[in-house]
Amino acid sequence: MPPWSDFEPFIVSGLALGGVYALSGVGLVVLYRATGVLYLAFGAVGAMGALIAWSLGRENVPGWLTWLVCIAAAAVITLGYGLIFGPALAKRDPLVKAVATIGLTLILYGLMDLLWTSSGGQARSESLPTDNGGFSIGQIQVDWTQVIALAAGVVITVGTGVFLRYTKLGTAMRAMANDREITATLGVPVRKVEAAAWLGCGVLAGVAGLLLADLAALDATTLTFLVISSLAAVLIARLRSITLTFAAAILIGLLHDLLTPITALSNYQNMTPFVLAAAGLLVMSRRRVMTQSREEA
Amino acid sequence: MGADLGLRSTAGRQTSRRRPGRPQLIRAAVITVLLLFVLFGFPQLLSLYYIDTMTQVAVYSMVTLALGVLVGRVGLVSLGQVAVLAIGAWVAARLLFATAQPYPVILLEAGLITMVAGMVTGLPALRLRGLYLALITLMLAGAITVVLATVNFPNGGHGFLGYNGSLVHIPPIRRPSVAGSDPAYFRYAVIVAILMFLLVLAHTKTKPGRAWAAIRQSEPAALAAGINTTLYKLWALALASFITGVAGGVLAGAVHYLYSIGFPTQDSITLLAVTLMGGVYSMWGAVVAALLYQFLPALLNNWGVSADWLTILFGLGVLQVLTTAPAGLADQVPKDLARLARLLSRLLSRLLGRRTPAPGKTT
Repeated sequence: MPPWSDFEPFIVSGLALGGVYALSGVGLVVLYRATGVLYLAFGAVGAMGALIAWSLGRENVPGWLTWLVCIAAAAVITLGYGLIFGPALAKRDPLVKAVATIGLTLILYGLMDLLWTSSGGQARSESLPTDNGGFSIGQIQVDWTQVIALAAGVVITVGTGVFLRYTKLGTAMRAMANDREITATLGVPVRKVEAAAWLGCGVLAGVAGLLLADLAALDATTLTFLVISSLAAVLIARLRSITLTFAAAILIGLLHDLLTPITALSNYQNMTPFVLAAAGLLVMSRRRVMTQSREEA
Repeated sequence: MGADLGLRSTAGRQTSRRRPGRPQLIRAAVITVLLLFVLFGFPQLLSLYYIDTMTQVAVYSMVTLALGVLVGRVGLVSLGQVAVLAIGAWVAARLLFATAQPYPVILLEAGLITMVAGMVTGLPALRLRGLYLALITLMLAGAITVVLATVNFPNGGHGFLGYNGSLVHIPPIRRPSVAGSDPAYFRYAVIVAILMFLLVLAHTKTKPGRAWAAIRQSEPAALAAGINTTLYKLWALALASFITGVAGGVLAGAVHYLYSIGFPTQDSITLLAVTLMGGVYSMWGAVVAALLYQFLPALLNNWGVSADWLTILFGLGVLQVLTTAPAGLADQVPKDLARLARLLSRLLSRLLGRRTPAPGKTT
């Protein structure tokens, strides 16, 4: 077992990673609750935004503008998909809706590989100016990007909780999570509320893509499939509670990074989200009563 | 329950009891001629490049067949089939290096061991349904991929894992003595695939097929009708794992060398996409899916077109299948061809100046 000081830097990076997973997870849960769609293209749209931002950055477009473009691109793609395929698949099973977003993932993934080809071996990187500044706690160096990542996770989780609890739109979303038909009968503009959820999820995908491009790597494959880690957090929360999603995401991020110094386990550190999600799901599915209700699982 | 991806009901029909009618005989004859052509015509006509590609098609037709059974017959969506294929290939490679058993025995063993592995991991997962089951298979596949990346495929080393990182001359994985050359191995792979298709046919036409159809329609209703849903779901999982394991064994001999990077988790996602595009309700769909998955990339590669276009096409295909054609290409293409034929005959009769309505317009 390595000494404790070896673990310290990984606490910070783990918390930062967990923060981004939490932010992504909250986006996924809110969209799932409002529309019934598990948005598996979350990582792909974030990656698309980040790559567009990278290309703009090379053309000497100011940084803040490229970040906005990144978020806007992810939001527009997500909203567009939601407006076209949301109503078309509204009455289908959640599984069908989720598989359909795999279609979007493949389209985006193919496009990204075509436009920003990775075969040339040229590594891209996106670095935010917040990487340079920072402070230290004891021996540990902390940069502002890491602080922003964790803070964004916390703020989004709390903010979304407050939004769902106290605003009219949030209440409408919660109502739709229970029953779309009844909500529509009560006079809630269902399509508009869904569009708002898609837009919100897209914005979060853009933010997550930008942060992960800096914290992890600016690479279409990595970013597209990092969503699986957030998905693990969402699954532990059973696609329901955003508080639980936040906790699970932080746990996954921390555990993943803390395994790095342990040589016996570091090869297996990428299993962390999968193992936690599988264990969580299996434990929580014990003694479940089979029902014929529309609410799946 | 709504794990059903489509709208059709393809319950095991009771036709097997009756004597086969003329259409069935004709169909059987056509399929036989087609298979004979594939077995004996292809090695004569195709270049070595395409023979190797068609061997891959034969291998992956088994994989998509197994996935088609899970998705189309029982309504269980798995996002982890490539990991199952990797387990089959790993077991077969290990046995081929360790023993001198005949190839068919190795294939059987690889299938059975993969089946046990699939059942052990699948039994707890079967408590979940629909979306959750699909996602847990994705998680399990991700975990298996990480383990494989560390363990590596056997390369002729010793010990349980059979991997020796410092080997300079890695021996190739052997092929059966009767099928050493590429064309012969292609025939071997096709014959194994035919046996697997017959195995599935034997299931879908009998009691398990009917039980699966009931489970797919509604699991609570199937339970109420006295069907042991856990048993039949596990049975489907065992069958699918067995077939995929055998496919892994055939794959090991086909490529000679196996690497863990050849089985990434995202391939399972693409595999589901092509299986849905091919069509999960008919066994032809599995062949179409394998052609999409292995033949099209080889063709595009030969033409110098980027495979990324194919990824985009698969994405569009999934969206199209899910929104408008739940039975996939295997169902849609014959219908579209019939529609085209009607349109052409109508145009033709109009051109010839006849006012008589074209045949088949009554639909």
